[in-house]
Amino acid sequence: MEILADFATWLAATPVAALVTSRGWIVPAIQVVHIIAIAAVVISVAQINRNAVRTRAGAPDISLTLRQWLPVAYIAVGILAVSGALLIASEPGRALFRTVFWVKIALIIAALALTRAHGAAALRARLGWHRVLAAGSVLLWVGVVFAGRWIAYADGWPGAPA
Amino acid sequence: MSLQDLATTLSDTRLAIELTDSTWLFGTIEAVHVLALTLVFGSIAVVDLRLLGLWRKDATIPALLHELLPITWGAFALAAVTGITMIFANPFGYFENFFFKAKLVLLLLAGINVLVFHRFVLPRATSAQALAPRISGGVSLVLWLTIVSFGRWIGFTI
Repeated sequence: MEILADFATWLAATPVAALVTSRGWIVPAIQVVHIIAIAAVVISVAQINRNAVRTRAGAPDISLTLRQWLPVAYIAVGILAVSGALLIASEPGRALFRTVFWVKIALIIAALALTRAHGAAALRARLGWHRVLAAGSVLLWVGVVFAGRWIAYADGWPGAPA
Repeated sequence: MSLQDLATTLSDTRLAIELTDSTWLFGTIEAVHVLALTLVFGSIAVVDLRLLGLWRKDATIPALLHELLPITWGAFALAAVTGITMIFANPFGYFENFFFKAKLVLLLLAGINVLVFHRFVLPRATSAQALAPRISGGVSLVLWLTIVSFGRWIGFTI
């Protein structure tokens, strides 16, 4: 907690924090970019999942779907990381000190791992695992969206910086 | 019945009371709204990018519509239900909010764009060079980006 508080203090003093808080419209604009990138992840994961559930084992078109959509999801996750970091910089005392933020980070790591495993399984043509991996990654990404929205409502830890 | 009367009626309902009393209900409905709108926007954006000739040229427009329209409509229904539910939490605030009113007008325009697309543009979208599908896709993309933006702006101005 102390390291985190020091980090938040340092972050608040950076030029990036000064820039994103310099105008009232910048934070909502970054949030819009964040939401659009979420849309890209959600539609990619939905498409991969749908095709995985529909496809009979051995059908070839799931690997095409993965080749088509996985890069979209990964690029969008990169945009989410950057826009998310800017949002944290806009209010360093907020997200970092709320449990739901760390739940979200854990869910993202799990969701990315499962999405990667899904891609790898497709390459090795282990198609039997598709449904499990697809359903699991959809649930995890839905959890990420919920946890993300919930950062706005959760209480901060006692003693968190204002 | 004026908007003021409607707001009074809505704020007197059981749902309005539940929404303002509960610590978790509004946030949960909002999270479902976010999830639904990302599916609406994501599925529409794929079709728009295809209409603009920028992406998914491997698929024909009718094939892409067949693949994505069920997602768009299902998610739109969910976004509409959760969106209307959220109004109950603060009807006076929403009805006075510029971005809320503008968003409703933009949604109406997006609806008209869908009708024009299906009635006039799609039957004539036979060549890759046709201009009408590109205009339709561009208008749709700009409208939906603005709708998402105005939606986020409501949260900062209400």
